[in-house]
Amino acid sequence: MFFSIFIRSFFIQAGWNYERLQNLGFAFAIMPALRKIYAPGEKLAAAVLRHLGLFNTQPYMAGFVIGNIVRMEEKLALMPAGGAESGPAAFEKKILEVKAALSSGFAAIGDRIFWGRLKPLTTQVCIVIWALAGFYGWLFTDTVSRVPLPVLFLGPLAGIALYAGGAVYLRWQGLKKGYACGGTASCGLDAVNWPALIRRLSVAGFALSLLIVAGAFGLLLEQNWDGAHKGGLILRAALALGVMALQRIVRKSGRSIFFAMGLILSASAALVIFERSGLHL
Amino acid sequence: MILKALISSLFAGLLELDNVQAGQFLISRPAFAGPLLGWLNGCPFEGARMGILIELIYLDFIPVGGVVPPNGLVAAAAAVLALVWAGLPESTAFFFGVMAGFMYGKVEYRLRVSRSSWIKGIETDARNGALLLERNLAGSLLAESAISGLYIFFFSGLAAFLAAPLLRAGPEALFRASDLAYSLMPWLGLSGLYFRFRTQVYKKG
Repeated sequence: MFFSIFIRSFFIQAGWNYERLQNLGFAFAIMPALRKIYAPGEKLAAAVLRHLGLFNTQPYMAGFVIGNIVRMEEKLALMPAGGAESGPAAFEKKILEVKAALSSGFAAIGDRIFWGRLKPLTTQVCIVIWALAGFYGWLFTDTVSRVPLPVLFLGPLAGIALYAGGAVYLRWQGLKKGYACGGTASCGLDAVNWPALIRRLSVAGFALSLLIVAGAFGLLLEQNWDGAHKGGLILRAALALGVMALQRIVRKSGRSIFFAMGLILSASAALVIFERSGLHL
Repeated sequence: MILKALISSLFAGLLELDNVQAGQFLISRPAFAGPLLGWLNGCPFEGARMGILIELIYLDFIPVGGVVPPNGLVAAAAAVLALVWAGLPESTAFFFGVMAGFMYGKVEYRLRVSRSSWIKGIETDARNGALLLERNLAGSLLAESAISGLYIFFFSGLAAFLAAPLLRAGPEALFRASDLAYSLMPWLGLSGLYFRFRTQVYKKG
């Protein structure tokens, strides 16, 4: 059952919809557990309906919530009938409360780790591997740059392996951890020192981005170095710095990167037309 | 050529499932899909260049909550098809791909909206003891894969193919401007990467 839930958790975002977000994926993931806990009939249908309610979390962190809820459903099935405050009805309500609390908590953590840091880190890993292999084609778009095909694919695949490895591990551990401490609204939130991990990832990403930007300018210098005429080099470096400054200004003003791209395209067109018109400053 | 473009598009549609609905292992990332689709179409290095630049540019968008970011896989696939099938210069194919990826965000939004209408039916089925979630989700995966594949083929590849003669008939300055803007894209992407982490490290509080 556990392995089946684990495999199904990879489809937590399948059927994502605006009315209940990941509800279909969540119900799909815990279905093997519900089928094992409840015999076909009214109780099973009620359990499925319970988990077709709104649900949304970071997909890689979903294991923590799924494991927890599976354990709680097991407890619910064994509960004797009781009063309104301690019986199954109250526990059903608690299941939904714990589910909501955990899903938002883990969404906040997971978004910061995976989308905010690890994903851009994999892009950096790709760039570094390509740079180490001597593939600079992505930086100088007017040059022809070749490396052996395995090296070309190693760049993105190394990042994918690191990222997917971490994500799969966390899905599995989350499921186990969630199941082990099922029933508490803080379950797993203290399993790892998340703020320290987030901080370390930020620092690593910043160090790598510094290295990459410095390396890119170094390459620009090397490619355009001409002892006698420094005009071309200065122009290219100024253009690169100008584009970086533009990106920063545009983002600071709350606009998307497409706005900066549009400005660059317009300025390029204006420059080319200006040059072809024969006018000179 | 058309058959190859169709096969590449449908293959890209399969890869696209990794983006949201299945797995999310990042095999749909443009830095991987670009060289892969490029390799299948005889231009792995151009595919890699366009792919990594699309990835850098699209890093600006984070898929939190209900946000539908531009689709990097669709952008990379459309760029490769525009280059190989339509014969557009690499720089123009890149911008064509970026536009296709941006526009696919609207398609994906419509798909997500349309799936909301399934819920009442699924709940009614469950009340009647028919638990058909697997069937519904399989349909969702199949629909998204087919729609993204066909979108890449028709609205990107075919559009680029039809637009190419018009673009070639236009002023040559168009391609030169596109080349110049394309040469600046790495710096635009690097800036996004650098300032994202810098902001995180120096964030107050």
